[in-house]
Parts: sequence; structure tokens; C-alpha cells
Amino acid sequence: MRPPALALLVAVGIVAAQTVDRTKPPQTAPIPAFKLPPAYETKLANGLAVELVEDARFPLVTVRLAFLEAGSKVDPPDLAGLAEATGTLLKEGTKTRPSKQIAEELAQIGGSLRGEATRDSITIGASALAEHAGRLLELVSDMGRNAVFPADEVKLYQQNQKQRLAARRAQAEFQADERFNALLFGSHPYARVNPTPEAIDKLSGGALAKFRDTYLVPNNAVLIVLGKLPARAGLLRQIEQRFGGWERRPLPARPAAKPPENKRRIALVDRPGSVQADIRVGKVALTRSDPDHFPLVVGNAILGSGTSSRLFMNIREKKGYAYQANSILMRYREAGYFSVITQVRNEVLGEAMDAVLAELDQMAQAPAPAVELSNIKNFLSGTFVMSLESQSSLADQLVLVKTMGLANNYLETYTTRVRSTEPDQIQKAAQKYIAPGDATIVVVGDASKIGEALKKLGEVEVTKVQ
Amino acid sequence: MKQLLALVAAVALPLSAAGDFTVGFEKYRLQNGLRVILAQDNAVPVVAVYLIYGVGARSEEKGRSGFAHLFEHMMFQGSKNAPKGMHFQTVEANGGALNGSTHVDFTDYFEVLPSNQLAVALWLEADRMRGLNITAENLANQKEAVKQERRLTFDNRPYNTALVDRFPELAFRNWQNYHSLIGSFEDLNAATVEDVSKFFQIYYAPNNAVLAIAGDLRVPEAKKLVETYFGPLEPQPQPQHPDATEPGERSTRADVYRDPLARVPAVLVAWPGPQRRSPDYNAMVMLDLVLTEGDSSRLQQALVKGRQSVVRFEASLGYPFGGSSEYVDPGIYGVFLTHQPKVSGREVASQVEVEIAKIQKDGVPVKELDRARAQWRAYRLREMQNALNRAKLLAQYELLDGKPEWITAELDAFLSVTPAQVQAAAKKYLVPEKRVTLEIVPVPKEAK
Repeated sequence: MRPPALALLVAVGIVAAQTVDRTKPPQTAPIPAFKLPPAYETKLANGLAVELVEDARFPLVTVRLAFLEAGSKVDPPDLAGLAEATGTLLKEGTKTRPSKQIAEELAQIGGSLRGEATRDSITIGASALAEHAGRLLELVSDMGRNAVFPADEVKLYQQNQKQRLAARRAQAEFQADERFNALLFGSHPYARVNPTPEAIDKLSGGALAKFRDTYLVPNNAVLIVLGKLPARAGLLRQIEQRFGGWERRPLPARPAAKPPENKRRIALVDRPGSVQADIRVGKVALTRSDPDHFPLVVGNAILGSGTSSRLFMNIREKKGYAYQANSILMRYREAGYFSVITQVRNEVLGEAMDAVLAELDQMAQAPAPAVELSNIKNFLSGTFVMSLESQSSLADQLVLVKTMGLANNYLETYTTRVRSTEPDQIQKAAQKYIAPGDATIVVVGDASKIGEALKKLGEVEVTKVQ
Repeated sequence: MKQLLALVAAVALPLSAAGDFTVGFEKYRLQNGLRVILAQDNAVPVVAVYLIYGVGARSEEKGRSGFAHLFEHMMFQGSKNAPKGMHFQTVEANGGALNGSTHVDFTDYFEVLPSNQLAVALWLEADRMRGLNITAENLANQKEAVKQERRLTFDNRPYNTALVDRFPELAFRNWQNYHSLIGSFEDLNAATVEDVSKFFQIYYAPNNAVLAIAGDLRVPEAKKLVETYFGPLEPQPQPQHPDATEPGERSTRADVYRDPLARVPAVLVAWPGPQRRSPDYNAMVMLDLVLTEGDSSRLQQALVKGRQSVVRFEASLGYPFGGSSEYVDPGIYGVFLTHQPKVSGREVASQVEVEIAKIQKDGVPVKELDRARAQWRAYRLREMQNALNRAKLLAQYELLDGKPEWITAELDAFLSVTPAQVQAAAKKYLVPEKRVTLEIVPVPKEAK
């Protein structure tokens, strides 16, 4: 295999090895500055906000039509899953296009399109080859305005959704998420993460149409068009043509709900036969607009983001209790939560719980050392830069700013704000949102194997796997 | 990419230029045999370093199943100047991401970093190519980590054990192809420090690797860094790979796997595939798109929408071991479908065959193939937005084909497949006599 190398090497022979100290990581320059592509913003007369971002690196165009207040939190209590069904079924038929035609038109332009509901909003996400920007906008407009939810499509959705749920229900992490959110959020609508089979059965074309007419309105929406775009004047004309005639409607007021106060409780979901225990330890936390937000982002990252984090280094690397150990910070429009996630061997559940709780205590009790802090700030800044590589991830960031109601400079100032957090701010945020005294603990596993170990932490409320 | 435009005109595709995008790169070889590919694109300050070694699960010897994967774990246990933990910490502290993964025909490692950190990634990769800390303690620790990974990924999740352990036994007759990718606990337990050191020496040599760097780099500076860190490494004798040839023609096979973790029944329908990069390979990639890509695909319209027997499905040339880009013969074309309990997996497999028979009999209309072409082009463009994906494809195509040019040339090859070729591929490969069917049936816990 080696002979061809010589000839080539001669050709590049001017390349000389430098003398370096191999015993230490190389010294490098600071992270290069990077500016987001500029955004052009405007608003149509009907209230539809429009944001255009030219990013011509790849001949693709990406569109997001986000309905800001339209997620699962506005589902009627007996119709959990309505927002999700509405989002999913938008592409299954409009006044003028049957489902199959939509699918074929999309494929013709190299397109992808899906409607997706989160807890707060519904977003139609779409992309296509750049030369078909107009046709993509036409399809997005048709989905957003004219979906009709044909009876046979609703029926098929119900049937398959029940199967999908049954499949996901087989997974321990699904059971853990469901129980954890239910306990954490109590009577707040964020408590519901999955529909019941009964709620799915209740879905109807009528209910979906009512949801559409109530929430899928231009004054509740933002349209983001990003990528290799046609000339602006022409693009704006196309947008006006396809979205301008869409009628504004008043949005219903929704009673403000507050998530309950945090309190310590231990819940065991008995899953006989589990070879490991799926653990959640967490608390209701904050939104991105909270003054404690950036300190908590940094604190959570120190504790549980990536493989240098305290949880990973201790629970996996040092103790070998688990393959994964991390913590997450979920932030929605009205509240959020912090949670540790790990899956440990049955035999070590007690020790693993002690180790997790000790790490949480440590976050609240001592300020983060300078080196750890500077590393994690680099980590968060770098991760952020990397989320800007593709059109879809940049578009998702722009959607986030709108759906979470953030300041327009949120993305521009993100890195600076991460970098300017101080150890005392982080510790203070950890005392509020990470300290485990009033944390909710959920474990999914075989009660006959782990029940006794868990009882050592306090009173345990046991339920059967659903 | 002018060539593509010519092809597009010749077959009268409604696509406008795919030629408005191309991946430029430079390829060369160090004296120690390391193949290097540099692809500069300075749009975003991100650089991806992707290092691929020519050793995968198929290279393992009997009694050594799981070695490739165990070794991938060992690569993160510290090297001469970067002790255990430093690799992760150094990359993450600089804002990067990293991982490794074991495949059937290769093992890969990557770092994605802000572009000022290129030297750091190269220092780390070169340091562990030079020598690892293979100690009894590290080995014991990683055996446990692999077992825990197995519990998490296989023993506690529906379908996976059937797909990764049972299916290969059904599909292949050569041990090289049918043994478990993650290995048996028995073989893992038997692994000694000596075995692992030997494995490292044979396979983790510069002449058995390809290094691709893509993104925000300057070629002259990158070349200097590569020479500095990798130039002094010693080459090893070129490793021999065991013969993975499948003996003779195969007949149809079927089995039923009872899965205590599954709640929804599923079936994997598969056929032996064509030779990589042959005209049939190109045709199979397009046939797969027609059958399974997106909402307009044949299976979506016929089985999910029409008969309503199937809940969802996934498929590709190479499934369930990988995608078409890493497919190496002897390989498989697999379609995995979860379905309604009212039909059996056997019936679903027959329904898939009915759809295939339509293509075998009537072919595929040009309009439908045009859709598949647009879908592939858009798919590939989306994928290539990330420096890591560009580096991956370049390095994999160098390793598997000796030709990184396939990163753009394969678009030409796929887009020029004709309806007649798609029909011929369906007739040649997706025939009932060669079908392998694995039904996965949920078994209630009590009945286990």
C-alpha cells in the first residue's frame, strides 16, 4: 500500500514538520468571531410577522411558520394530544390538495415538511431545493391556512397514534418522563406529556378544525424564510400574495397557571423485569427570560452536560454505575424544569442515588472552581457556534427567539452572557433550582429488586407501569 | 460538476443545476501511509476532524467478537501525553464535540471544534495513534462500560436484540458477517491486555487509516499541522482481513423472534444486495427511494395509507447495519416495518412483495423517478451543510472505494439511473426466493 505515497509526498514536499512539545495540548488562538447572517423583519397587515435571512452557502431554502400560542398547553383537558394531532395532520389534505398530492408536490421540489407541536406552540418546518422557494411557500401557506383534516386521515392517525404510544410506553424512559412531569407540574398543563388512548379516540375532524380556527391565525404566527433566497422585493410580493389574504382573528385569553412549588417526593414506577433502574431527580425551574437563566445554564452544564461533567465523571467513569449520567434544563414559555437523567444497574441503585444527591448538594454548597467554569463557558460558546452550521438548526434558533418571546438580540448576546456569569450567581441559581432537598425523585424499575434500596431515602409512592 | 449538467440534459430532468454546489478537497499521503483529505470551507468557524480506521466487526476473529467495539472504548482511556479523561475534557473545554463508533467495516473517531482548535484535535488523535494506556484496570473498566451499553441499548429496548443479534444469523452463513457487532459477554470477559495491545498494533496504524479535515481551515497551515503530529508515526505491516465471502446461493429463510420488550409487532424483510458502486448499487439506491422515501413513497401510500396495515417503516441499502454510503458487499437491503396487530408479519411481508411485484411488472414512471432524484439531491445537500458530514463521506469513500470524489460523483451516478435499471434491479434482487424474513412478536411478560 505504500509506494504511491512517495510520489505524492514529493509533490507536497515543502511541508515541513514543526518542532513542538507533544506532552501538552497545543496553544491556540481565541475562538474566531462570527456574526449571524443579517435578518430583515417586517409584518403583514393581518399581523403575520415575517423574518427573512439570506444564507446562500447551500442551494436550499428553509421555511418555518410558527404559531406562538398553540401547543399542548392549550389542549382541552379531555382532549390531550389535540395540538399534536393538528400539527401532524396539517399535511394530510387541504381544501384544494389531497394528502397524496401534497406528498408528491413536496417530493418534486426535494422538499420536506412537517407540522409539530411542542408544549407552547405549533411549527410547520419545511425545506426544499432553493430554486423551488416559491412552490415551497405555496405549500406551507396551504397547510397553515387550508388544512381540512379528512375523516379517513383522522381515523388512520388515531389508529397509528395508539400503536406508537403503546410502543413508546414499552420504554422505561418514556414511563419516567411521564411520571416525572405529572408530579412536577401538578395541575399546570405542562404536566401532560402524552395523550391517553381515550383522548385519542375522542379526536374528530370537528375538534381539529376548531383548534385550527382558534389558534392557526396570522396574528399568532411568524413566518421565517432562510437560505439562498430570491431577490427580496419579489420574495415579499410572493409572501403577500400567499399570506396577505389570511384573516386575523382574536385569540382566546387563557387563565394564567403557575406550576406548583417544589417539594420532595419519591415515586417508584414498578416495571417488573427491568434490568436497570431509570432515574429522574429534578425540580420546576425557570424560563429563558429569568435573570437567573444564564447562571443556571452554566451550572447545569457543569453538573451534567457532556462527558467532562461532574455526573458523568463520577457516576459513569469513577463509580461505573451507569453508561450515561447527565442533567438537562428544559425551558418553555411559562416555566421549565431541571432534571438528572441516569440509568443504573439494579444492584447499585442505593449507592447511585446517594452519589447523585451528593453532586446536587455540592452545586448548591460551593462555588465552581475557576478552571471548571472557564472550561464550561468555552464548551457552551463552542456548542452554540456549532448550532449555526445548517439552515435548519439556524432556523430553529430563530423560531425559539419568537416562540419563547425573547429579546431580538438573544442569539447575538448568548455567548457574551454565558461568559459573564460569576461563580456566586451560579451557586445562588443552584440553591434555588438544583439543591435536592425539595426535588422530585422518580425511578422506573423492578420494585422487587430496587424497592428496598429506594425506601432508605424516605417514603416511596409505588405505581405500576402504565 | 459540469458533467452532471450534461447528464441532466441528456435524461431531460427538470432539475436545475446540482452543479451550484460542490465539495472541493485535496488528497495526499504521508510517508507512513496515512491518507489525508483536506476540504476547506471558511463560512462558519467550525472544523471537523474525522479519523477512520480500516477495522470493524467483520474483521474480528472467532472468540474475539466485540473486539472492534471494545477497542473503540479503549481509545478513550488515555494515551501517552493525554491521560484518561483528557481527550474528552480537552475537546469539550474548547467547546467541541467528539465521539467514536464501530461499524461493520470500519471504526471512526471525530472531533468537531471551533476552528481555532484544529491543532488540539490533531494532537489528541495523533497521540492515541502513537500509543495507548492499555492497562488491566482500564480494560476491566471498559468491559463493564460495554456491558452496561449492551444492557441499555439492547437488553432493555424492544426490537434491537432481534435486529442486531438474531437477524445476522438468519441472513448470513459466514461467521464474519453474522456474529454480534457488540460481541458476547463471554468473549469480552476473555479479552486480555495482551490481546488488546496486539489488536491496537495491527489495526491502529497510520497506513490503515484515513484522516479527513473539513471546514474552516487553511490548507497550507493544516498540512503543516498534520505533518507535525502524524508524520513521525511508524507504519505497520498492512493488516489482512478475514474472508467475508458468503458461500454459494442462498434460499429464502424466515424466523419468528419473541420479544418481551416489544408492544407492537414488527417484521424485517430483507434481500442480499448488489456489489458496492456497481450500476446495480446505484439502481438499488434509487429503487429504495421510490419504495420508502417520504410520504409519496410506494410503501407509505400502499401500506400505511391504503391497507393501513403498517404503522411506520424504515429502510435503506445496508439496513440494519448502516446506510447506503457505508454498504459493503456481502450486504443487505432491509425494510423494517412495525404493523397493526390485526395482520401478521408474514402478511405484511407479502404486502411489501406485492408492491415490489408492481415495479417488477410495470416499472417506475419517469415522473416518479424524477421525484426520487430531487429527494436525493436535497437530502445530500442538507447533509453536507455540516463539516463533520463532509469529512465523514470523504474519508469513508477513500477507505471503502479509494475515491473520495464519490462525494459529488455519486450524485451523477444516482441521478442518471434510468427507470429500466430500477425495474431490472427489482427483478434481480428483490425476489421471493432470496427473501429473509424476521417477524418480531411481542410476548407478554408473564408468558416469557
